[in-house]
Amino acid sequence: MTTTVTPYRSRLHPGRTGFAHLLRAEWTKFWTVRAWPLVLAVAVVITVLISQLGASGSTAGGGPEVTLGPDGTVVTDAFRFTHRPLTGDGSVTVRVTGLRSADGRSLEPWAKAGVIVKQNLDQGSPYAAVLATPGHGVRMQWNFTHDTAGGTGDLTTAPRWLRLTRTGDRLTGYESADGRGWSKIGTVGLAGLPRTVEAGLFLATPAHLVVHRAFGGTSERYGGGLVTGTYDHLGLKGTSAGARWTSTDVGGAAPNGPAPENGPPGSTQVSAAGAYTLTGRGDIAPDENGPDTVQMSFQGVFVGLLFLVALGALFVTGEYKRGLIRTTFTATPARVKVLAAKTTVIAVLTFAAGLLATALGFTLAQSRLRDNGFRPPEFPDLSLLDSPALRAVAGSAALLSLVAVLALALGVVLRNSAGAIATVVVLVVLPQILSFAFPLPAAQWLLRVTPAAAFAIQQGKTYYPQVAHNCLPESGCYPLAPWNGLAVLAGYAAAALLLAAWRLRRRDA
Amino acid sequence: MSDATIEVRNLRKRFGRTLAVDGLSFTVEPGTVTGFVGPNGAGKSTTLRTVLGLDAADEGEALIGGRPYAALRTPLLEVGALLDAAALHPSRRGRDHLRWMAHSHGLPAHRVDAVLEQVGMETAARRRAGGYSLGMRQRLGIAAALLGDPPVLLLDEPANGLDPEGIQWIRGLLRHLAAEGRAILVSSHLMSELEDTADHLVVIGRGRLIADTTVADLLAAASGDRVRLRTDSRAQAMELLAREGATVAVVDRDTLTVSGLPAQRIVELLTSAGVPFAEVGAHRAGLEEAYMELTRDAAEFTATTDADEFTTSTAATSTADADADEVTP
Repeated sequence: MTTTVTPYRSRLHPGRTGFAHLLRAEWTKFWTVRAWPLVLAVAVVITVLISQLGASGSTAGGGPEVTLGPDGTVVTDAFRFTHRPLTGDGSVTVRVTGLRSADGRSLEPWAKAGVIVKQNLDQGSPYAAVLATPGHGVRMQWNFTHDTAGGTGDLTTAPRWLRLTRTGDRLTGYESADGRGWSKIGTVGLAGLPRTVEAGLFLATPAHLVVHRAFGGTSERYGGGLVTGTYDHLGLKGTSAGARWTSTDVGGAAPNGPAPENGPPGSTQVSAAGAYTLTGRGDIAPDENGPDTVQMSFQGVFVGLLFLVALGALFVTGEYKRGLIRTTFTATPARVKVLAAKTTVIAVLTFAAGLLATALGFTLAQSRLRDNGFRPPEFPDLSLLDSPALRAVAGSAALLSLVAVLALALGVVLRNSAGAIATVVVLVVLPQILSFAFPLPAAQWLLRVTPAAAFAIQQGKTYYPQVAHNCLPESGCYPLAPWNGLAVLAGYAAAALLLAAWRLRRRDA
Repeated sequence: MSDATIEVRNLRKRFGRTLAVDGLSFTVEPGTVTGFVGPNGAGKSTTLRTVLGLDAADEGEALIGGRPYAALRTPLLEVGALLDAAALHPSRRGRDHLRWMAHSHGLPAHRVDAVLEQVGMETAARRRAGGYSLGMRQRLGIAAALLGDPPVLLLDEPANGLDPEGIQWIRGLLRHLAAEGRAILVSSHLMSELEDTADHLVVIGRGRLIADTTVADLLAAASGDRVRLRTDSRAQAMELLAREGATVAVVDRDTLTVSGLPAQRIVELLTSAGVPFAEVGAHRAGLEEAYMELTRDAAEFTATTDADEFTTSTAATSTADADADEVTP
């Protein structure tokens, strides 16, 4: 019977099944279910609205005057200074013999004793310093944000010789164990330094902050901070207009501390043998306590995310629910390719929508924040195209895209919308909520190892290593650096995709 | 490209403790409509899913034109399949459903319009699939199967939910498609649906092959050499014929079937004995009757081979069948 039949030959143009065709098929699927583009649009609108609303709730103003460093950074510049004017080139040398607490508190690791050359006695003026610390060895620091490590000796067990030399507008820091053999730490240029500067000894300690943490709130309280440093072999080379050393409390107020009139003033005593004993408080460092106006502009992302998670999950679980996935796999038997196409479509669409939402949300929130008092000089105008704003805007869009992809991959693994959505919410949102309630180390651990770490990308503040800070989740601090945080989420998404691909190959459709 | 055939060779598929398909082999040739028949849960859908590469066979293989489904470069142009007409997104329009399928193979838009016209869905395809009747879903599913103009078609219960007019239409369509030289496999749990459509039958029960035969052979075998007799004097005729060595069965109030005697001899006997009768002719079995006979044999066969299992598995049949056919393993 078969021999008499001519098998059918189609006269259709031979079809093609490249990845581009598959992408187009999935793209068509997305746009032909009316609810899906709608959810995408709703996610954008909600994100923008809530970002703006969140920003409206914050106001600034009425606080103490802030100090700005040479580059416009908000800084703390308060310390005990024993100084003489220095005209032209020269150097200042001292041996730091000890540093101890003057108020019974434990010594802060970033307490500082050393030599400094500063433009003048005004807060925020340019400076360079060589200093010894109890916890971080010898350092050379300049203009608040810069820090170079020297030797690692512990000041409390062995005295250190420190020297700072000025040549033109270049300053070079040295250290020595014995005052004879000197090693160079670094040379920095302080452009525009006047011919006459103030040079001498300084002493500072960051405030000791006590963290109180309980359900519903956390507070940081000033817990004192007063140190005494001892020095000898003080020497100044070069031309000085003043014949005597004078002492000043630069800035007066300690950060987070009592007002200058309430706190005990610093003191400087000189022994007959030429040993100096300074007592003081304060810090010479960037101030990290202000609000993060970048991060404050992205509060809508947290809500917009939920819509995109649902979208990512439904894009695949909707097919499993109705058996449509079998039609998909009969059209394209290469299942992992289908996964790749679906992932690409969802990733591109959610990133584009996310970028629109975060760029618009950020711009509107910034203007709202400016109206509410977050203005220069304390809060610089942030341009969308400058880092860290650009990083936060693009990074938040990437975050939204990655959670949608994570939901899609989990949808393939679980084949169930509710399960996939719940899992992503538990992974991304729950750690944030728990981080407010858990003890600080546990909270920080959660924000390191769960996909919630990705919210670090929204931080606009720079956390400097030379400043100790309690990374409090309530204050919007994430323990990981911005890109590292995003990488954690990307890792979860990649792992979920691998698991999905493995399940697709192994299980019947 | 080799011949457009479907070959199933020694296929075995197990879901947990249920053996859904048990060593099944058959071939679907070009130019024929092959009916794939068995009660609900016999393993028809599982077999079709395995042919389409959706389920992995535990043993054996299923080939399309000599190749496994996964090896097909442009599957929609080589095999058209209708597995489940309800597998549609309710808020996607019927036309858009076909559009994404067409896009996956780079098929032009006019191909979508052509198949919609072929199944009479030009207007309905502009509406969302959520509002479709079962008949409309079936038509859209058939359109999807025809989209790539494939030489091989696999249709799972395509007449399900169609109105009598629709059933007439699909019979004609299948005959027409087969006449073009396509190999068509149509599953059904109702033999009557395949009457006048199928040339060939593959009958399975509980995952095993019961019959693989042409429709003509099956009907001849079921009809046997029986003679159909209509008479008002039923009791008289029965007694007379039985005495002559015939086996007589009652069909209804005035109809008997007689085996063991040729029709001519029956007429002679009745005439000479003066028994009145209205009609004598060869008995023609219907497909349904033939099928019942086949499956009855299969049940007996099963009972004698694994008698221990039989009682429990018949009791569990409905649930196990549901597993095999509907639940995603």
